[in-house]
Amino acid sequence: MNGPLIVQSDKSLLLEVDHEQADDCRRAIAPFAELERSPEHIHTYRLTPLGLWNARAAGHDAEQVIDTLLTYSRYAVPHNLLVDVAETMARYGRLRLEKHPVHGLVLASTDRPVLEEVLRAKKVAGMLGDRIDDDTVAVHPSERGNLKQVLLKLGWPAEDFAGYVDGEAHPIDLETDGWELRSYQAEAADSFWHGGSGVVVLPCGAGKTIVGAAAMAQARATTLILVTNTVSARQWKDELVRRTSLTADEIGEYSGAVKEIRPVTIATYQVMTTKRKGVYPHLELFDARDWGLIVYDEVHLLPAPIFRMTADLQARRRIGLTATLVREDGREGDVFSLIGPKRYDAPWKDIESQGWIAPADCVEVRVTLPDAVRLAYATAEPEERYRLAACTREKVAVTRDLVARHRGQPTLVIGQYLEQLDELSAALDAPMITGDTTVRERQRLYDAFRHGEIDLLVVSKVANFSIDLPSAEVAIQVSGSFGSRQEEAQRLGRLLRPGDPGPDGERKVARFYTLVSRDTVDADFAQNRQRFLAEQGYAYRIIDAVDLAGA
Amino acid sequence: MGDEATRTAGHRSLAEQLRSWTDDQVAELLTSRPDLTTPAPHDFSQLASRATIRSSVARALDSLTRGELSVLDALVVAGQTTDEELVGIVHAETSYVAATLARLRALALAWDSPEGLRPLSGVADCLAGGVDGGVSGLRPRTPDAAPLNVVRERLDALSEEARALLDHVVAAGGEATAGSARRNLRPEDAATPAEELLSRGLLTPGRDDLLVVPGEVGLALRGGRTTTGPVDLVPDLATAERPSRLTESAAAGAAGEFCRRTELLLEWWSTRPATALRTGGLGVRELKAAAAHLQLTEPDTALVVETASAAGLVATRADVDGNPVWVPTDAFDTWLDAEPAARWTTLARAWLTSARLPGLVGSRGTDDKPWNALTPELSSMLMPETRALTLAALAEVPPGHALASGTGLPSLVARLTWLRPRRPRSRADQVAWTLAEAAALGVTGLDALSPYGRALVAGDDPTPLLAAALPEPVDHVLIQADLTAVAPGPVESGIARSLQLVADIESRGAATVYRFTTSSLRRALDAGWTAAEVHAFLASVSRTPVPQPLTYLVDDAVRTFGQVRVGYAESFVRSDDEAALAALVRHPKAASLGLRLLAPTVLVSTTPVDVLLVRLRELGVAPVVEGPDGTVRVGRPDVLRARTPRQRVAAQDDARHAAQVAAAVRSLRAGDAAARVRPAAAVSPAGALSALRDAIERRTAVVIGFTDNQGVVGERTVDPISVEGGQLTAHDRTADDVRTFAVHRISRVTPAP
Repeated sequence: MNGPLIVQSDKSLLLEVDHEQADDCRRAIAPFAELERSPEHIHTYRLTPLGLWNARAAGHDAEQVIDTLLTYSRYAVPHNLLVDVAETMARYGRLRLEKHPVHGLVLASTDRPVLEEVLRAKKVAGMLGDRIDDDTVAVHPSERGNLKQVLLKLGWPAEDFAGYVDGEAHPIDLETDGWELRSYQAEAADSFWHGGSGVVVLPCGAGKTIVGAAAMAQARATTLILVTNTVSARQWKDELVRRTSLTADEIGEYSGAVKEIRPVTIATYQVMTTKRKGVYPHLELFDARDWGLIVYDEVHLLPAPIFRMTADLQARRRIGLTATLVREDGREGDVFSLIGPKRYDAPWKDIESQGWIAPADCVEVRVTLPDAVRLAYATAEPEERYRLAACTREKVAVTRDLVARHRGQPTLVIGQYLEQLDELSAALDAPMITGDTTVRERQRLYDAFRHGEIDLLVVSKVANFSIDLPSAEVAIQVSGSFGSRQEEAQRLGRLLRPGDPGPDGERKVARFYTLVSRDTVDADFAQNRQRFLAEQGYAYRIIDAVDLAGA
Repeated sequence: MGDEATRTAGHRSLAEQLRSWTDDQVAELLTSRPDLTTPAPHDFSQLASRATIRSSVARALDSLTRGELSVLDALVVAGQTTDEELVGIVHAETSYVAATLARLRALALAWDSPEGLRPLSGVADCLAGGVDGGVSGLRPRTPDAAPLNVVRERLDALSEEARALLDHVVAAGGEATAGSARRNLRPEDAATPAEELLSRGLLTPGRDDLLVVPGEVGLALRGGRTTTGPVDLVPDLATAERPSRLTESAAAGAAGEFCRRTELLLEWWSTRPATALRTGGLGVRELKAAAAHLQLTEPDTALVVETASAAGLVATRADVDGNPVWVPTDAFDTWLDAEPAARWTTLARAWLTSARLPGLVGSRGTDDKPWNALTPELSSMLMPETRALTLAALAEVPPGHALASGTGLPSLVARLTWLRPRRPRSRADQVAWTLAEAAALGVTGLDALSPYGRALVAGDDPTPLLAAALPEPVDHVLIQADLTAVAPGPVESGIARSLQLVADIESRGAATVYRFTTSSLRRALDAGWTAAEVHAFLASVSRTPVPQPLTYLVDDAVRTFGQVRVGYAESFVRSDDEAALAALVRHPKAASLGLRLLAPTVLVSTTPVDVLLVRLRELGVAPVVEGPDGTVRVGRPDVLRARTPRQRVAAQDDARHAAQVAAAVRSLRAGDAAARVRPAAAVSPAGALSALRDAIERRTAVVIGFTDNQGVVGERTVDPISVEGGQLTAHDRTADDVRTFAVHRISRVTPAP
């Protein structure tokens, strides 16, 4: 017994990455264990009911799970954990959603007590129709998603056998001229297709758009793509035109500005969730065509109305794309039950070592506040404190230093507070992009940045998502939205798109600076975010602003 | 069953037979029937008398297997008989019957009279419990029973009606009311089926005008044997193959886990004692809290608590308010110092011999009150026996095999029911608990006994075997950039203690995950560590370079450490007149006041306000008292310990009992020698009882001196039948009737002429 895995009784699995069997083990446990953190030496996975049910949904049984744990475990596996795994997995599939030749969608069970328990639960009231026989009950087709969600919360997840509609066929092919699908992209698209629906988790810059395109090429049907904002929609369109047989005419944009419905339609979350007179007029887009595939970009940001709408779309294939399934609102379970289970996941560092995303050097710079500011901070109202600490003027000087050090390298300065960004923009004499900047102006600035015409941009959180700026090499984060971990991931992600190798053949190393005010809540929040980076395997350094010159 | 068939010449009485035994045989009897030794019997007649008391016989029967009970039952049916004949009527191997008879003789449940082997008179009454208890349900044979073939002929010659009636009586339990049937007829004169049966001796008159089917008829109906099926078949255990690699590692894992959890719980109770119930138990809320702390289910937690208590690691004491609380004992400190394997041995041995029933915790008793852990009543004297028998049965399963899942437990229950059929119905529950507890303790793994578990059951020291099975302790950790450190195995205790000081434990198990935080580092600084020491310690235990963020965190924690200082003062003095305060501090008479200048305008004093006021006035200042204000106390709560309860260890018990037995045998011999020179007539009350019981066993008549209700002393010749509840039941020859006599009115007992 000298396996790479240590199974803890609190259901965490510790994987020693330097072990010779580590890769085999990682592959073996990935289907049922959630990767919790992946720092440099020991990765932590966790067994959760959700993960175990995902594994059941993907066709793994408890026997396999237990066998894997026993095979790779270095020490004895706690007995109660094995029992728990078996019991948890046995709960999945006692209830099944099926197509009944006469009654349409039905909920059936082989275990009558479970069915009775579920029928008596308050939460399912109104979702179920008539009792057909002892083991079967009719389900209102529109409640398919909601029912699955509720059953998951009740601890009796239903296995969905009701199948998918094919949707309106539309020829889509990948055009691999001068590029090809990376192995993990192909694996991700395949495992999605075999699973039917689900979420693919890949780091920023790893080419999630391509995975979406590959999924469309598998579906060969009309597709609705939901993205976070207009700029991102345009990037999707460009990418699809470049990578697939689709022409620009076949792709429609459905945003605040343009409302086109084409065989492939890209819509923004914002327009979908616009509310007029208490209704969401644009949600009808979901019914506008017989979509064969729905792509949710940045699924961790999926807004609540779309969740509700998605519940009605359970008969259509759905793929979610994201860098982190961490939702600060804790609704990961809803993503699982409505979009589908996690179908693919890979540690960032693995993809980095294959050269698909750029390595990053993360540095936290601690800024010491002068006494006057500390006093102001100490006496400030609690809700004002973060803003006060994050927007301290000291950061401007440090930012200027850092920009000067990296003169010539494309640099982004990212912040949360507009007045701070204004100040920085003025001090650095750099253009600024915020929510108020027009789309046209944004596009222009991004293009200029991409082409090297400008090498310094001050951006607000609008640039957090889906903006492709492959040339960016340095990011300076001056403030963030409290301790948001996924924001950290997104911001780092801006830097990770690998650029072309430089003239000396060296690939770029991204530099990610975070400016933090010492001894304030800013530092506490930063710690939370840094921890996330460290858990993703990014070692970081902390240096004092005064030592910056020497570092 | 004539005398000529008996192999041994026979003894006049049980006492005489016992007297003829060697000292070893007597000692063996006293060991296997411990109730005979206390108080030590004076002589062999008293010993024999005591052995025939109903409660003692019942106890002896409790320790018999179903097969042994069946043989004993056959002996009761046969009346007095020979070994050879008994072999004939017991459905079992000859060697089994012979071995069982030897055991019955050794237990003094049967003895050799001149007329043949006899069961003790109380045995027939004590045999109960139906077929499962080894009872065939047959009546004793009539004294002049016809041989088997004769009975068979008579049965064959019966009319159909008579045969049907007989079958009916047998099916109804072998007894029937006589009705108007005439007795003492010849078969030809019989008018009814009942009379026909009576006339052929197939029914005989019993007590209370009942007709009974005599033993020889029952035997004939069952083909000459007391049972139709063999009685010496031990139920097999249902087993399945299971690689010992898996079972052993599962067991060792559980063993390590159990020790770790015990340590965790008791460390927790050291600083936060658990409130004890008024009845002495541990309340439901406390158990829930402990379960949450241990991340265990409540039943498993109850086992941890009960085992720790059985091992003397936890006991009650009064807290500061005088309420009883559960805290670790000083034995816990000794236990902590031991090697992990030795710790387990302590716990496992305590569990094995403990009478506690942790399996009941959480369920409700007969009064509908929930059973609480550590309640004194939560025990059963049968539990150690159940544990020993269960584990002994498991020890029969060869390595590489384990109890089959599903069928294993019922087969184990069946085995125990066969071994001790007279034990109560709760046996099945107890076996299930034992299996679950053994798994939780790591005595078994996946329902197979571990190698060290075998040693434990066999009474050997399991420590070295377990130590080999436990993972090697590690002396390093892997420190990572996310400020965690992972110890990939059990950590050496010194390093573990230091790590627990500088970092918080995030996950426990075979490995330990530590997290460094500002507060954990402060804790180390509080304990007197310096920054250099923390750095040096981290560098020495980490197998990889210490990540820069951690180094930074340590320095940052040191930077802010001690910026605010807290001290102790009884009172303060403040004044805007700095000069006055300065003068006060330097005043020669103020030295004893413990004044210290904190700031130019503030003094603190170690003197209480009431004293300080008076003294300051003496010094010529006119102080006023400022509004009340609190003081801050520092220090950590005391680690509480109770005294280890004195407990009898099973081994001590055994030794004590062995010594008692030896002493008893010696005094028996001496007493007997003395008794032999005394007159045969029994004059003391105890002697009278022995003499009466002896007469019952020998079925002989005695003359008793009896004082009747009028105070008249008379002599009667009686055939004693039984002695119970202070009453002698005997057939009074003078009155030709069965009478009862109060034993205390019997002044003497002499053998009938």
